[in-house]
Amino acid sequence: MRQGFRQSMAWLHAWSGLLVGWVLFAVFVTGTASFYRSEISQWMRPELVATETDPGRAAERGAAYLQRQMPDAMGWFIELPTPEKPAIAVMWWKSMEGPFHQALLDPETGEPTSARATKGGDFLYRFHYELSMPPMLGRWIVGACTLVMLVALVSGIVTHRRIFADFFTFRRDRSTQRGWLDAHNVAGVLGLPFHLMIAYTGLTLLATLYMPWGVRTAYKGDEIRYFVEAGLMPDLRWAAGKPGTLTPLGPVVAASVARGGKAPEGLSVWNPGDANATVVAIFEEPHGLSHHHPQIAFDGQTGAVLGQAGAVGAATGTGTVMAGLHMGHFAGPALRVLFFLCGLMGAATVATGLVLWAVARAPKGAAPAGFGLRLVRALNLGTIAGLPAGVAAYFLANRLLPVGLSERASWEIGAFFAIWGLVALVGALRPGPRAWSQALGLVGALFLSVPPVAALTTGLNLPGGALRFLGFDLMMLALGLGFVVAARKAAARVGAPLRRPARDLTGEEALRA
Amino acid sequence: MTPLVVALNIALCFAGFAALALSLDRHHRDALAGRVPAGRALPMRAAGWALLALSLATAIAWEGWNFGPVQWIGALTGAGLLVVLVLSYRPVWLRPAALLALPLGLALLPAILLA
Repeated sequence: MRQGFRQSMAWLHAWSGLLVGWVLFAVFVTGTASFYRSEISQWMRPELVATETDPGRAAERGAAYLQRQMPDAMGWFIELPTPEKPAIAVMWWKSMEGPFHQALLDPETGEPTSARATKGGDFLYRFHYELSMPPMLGRWIVGACTLVMLVALVSGIVTHRRIFADFFTFRRDRSTQRGWLDAHNVAGVLGLPFHLMIAYTGLTLLATLYMPWGVRTAYKGDEIRYFVEAGLMPDLRWAAGKPGTLTPLGPVVAASVARGGKAPEGLSVWNPGDANATVVAIFEEPHGLSHHHPQIAFDGQTGAVLGQAGAVGAATGTGTVMAGLHMGHFAGPALRVLFFLCGLMGAATVATGLVLWAVARAPKGAAPAGFGLRLVRALNLGTIAGLPAGVAAYFLANRLLPVGLSERASWEIGAFFAIWGLVALVGALRPGPRAWSQALGLVGALFLSVPPVAALTTGLNLPGGALRFLGFDLMMLALGLGFVVAARKAAARVGAPLRRPARDLTGEEALRA
Repeated sequence: MTPLVVALNIALCFAGFAALALSLDRHHRDALAGRVPAGRALPMRAAGWALLALSLATAIAWEGWNFGPVQWIGALTGAGLLVVLVLSYRPVWLRPAALLALPLGLALLPAILLA
């Protein structure tokens, strides 16, 4: 029987955190990287340089390409070029089940660009909520883990008795366990508003997936209607089943500019080969916290305006503001640095918590560690060092794989999983006092090697100047140095006798201490 | 303009958090030696909270009610982390750093107002 509310909360915090910790660490790391998704994509496609392109002409070139690929598609999407992404990104699909084909086109020629094939920052972004699994399965797993994360956060707050008194406390010089506990508390408490916000808004972002029953009951089989009535998308038309001719998209873009005030970010075309074809112009988010894109729908035959979406009610508006807070698109450079920092602190909270769980349960003296503890230790090293090693390998593969390699984008992702798996496997097979320092040292070396490898492979004839990716290079060096410092600290621990409190605390006592 | 306002927010939060930390015996001992002198804790805490509130007020004044609080919370986290790191690695620097952050932050005001 466990006595006391706080004690049961400590138990709940320790075990709920352990259960989802490894997934959450991966979600935090890839999500934090996603704040710089477009910068990562730019770095991974160094061949693309900013050009001025007329949006109307770009739309027509995209449509011409798609007409050749799949004239009878269910949908096309044409993302117009921007200075950050100076290419026409097109997507086409025959059914909502996929497959979703995509290509990057040169805005000047309308043909596929010479840029290397890569998923860029989109891979890390999708991994953040789908874990490279079948999309629905991945989203459900991430959602379940996020729900447990909320449980761990709230039980952690209850468990932590002295939030204010220990607010600034980080005792590195006392016992190992005390140091990890303080680090866990500091990263958790200082980032607490962010952690709570990001977990909650992450769940509401996919709320209609996780809790579809309200919409399903109210709209009875016509769930699209919900999104239309909520103001999230314009009314679309079903295919008529009769062939039609798609109107040129240049005038549609011009009409969007006239009505929406500026060129749209992209156009989606539904049933392009049908008499009921619909073209939807999607605009960038207006300045504000909210994440929703105003849209205007046009008749695909005549180019006449069919309707628009963008004005949302209070409830939907609350949802779109939560989505906006989660993604942080509104944040300028300075605020984005703070979001990034908060994300790193989230990852640090999870990592220190996982390590603390194992440290607090280490057997005393020469007693051998049980299977559970060895498993947790192996998974800890495999995730906390393995995943960052995989990210660094993903970047290195982008520069080292031949540009003309077939299935190149998949090879990059293969490198990510191969190095992650390798670090995890070696760590599991050869556990020991030096495993951590060696693994962290490897991660540091991988990150530190990204700028020189990039300079040797693409840097010397980089279009747009050799200093174009200075920020990315500096970030890689900073991450690399961080991991090298961590490796040295881990190595120093091995030599020194373990400093422990006079009496060893049990795991739950440690949490409450 | 926003990066300057973020810098001002962080400077004010840093000074505020430093005052709050130095009102606690444990950190006072590390940073300044000895316990917090009698009667000093309360005014330091008041000053600390006032600086945090001032940071929120400046964030809202320049960034509005929607962005301001978000930016302020980000600044709180960043400044809090700085205070913890200074206390942990160079505790004696905390008071000089806080006393420096305040005028430096306020020195940004003309730049913000002119922008």
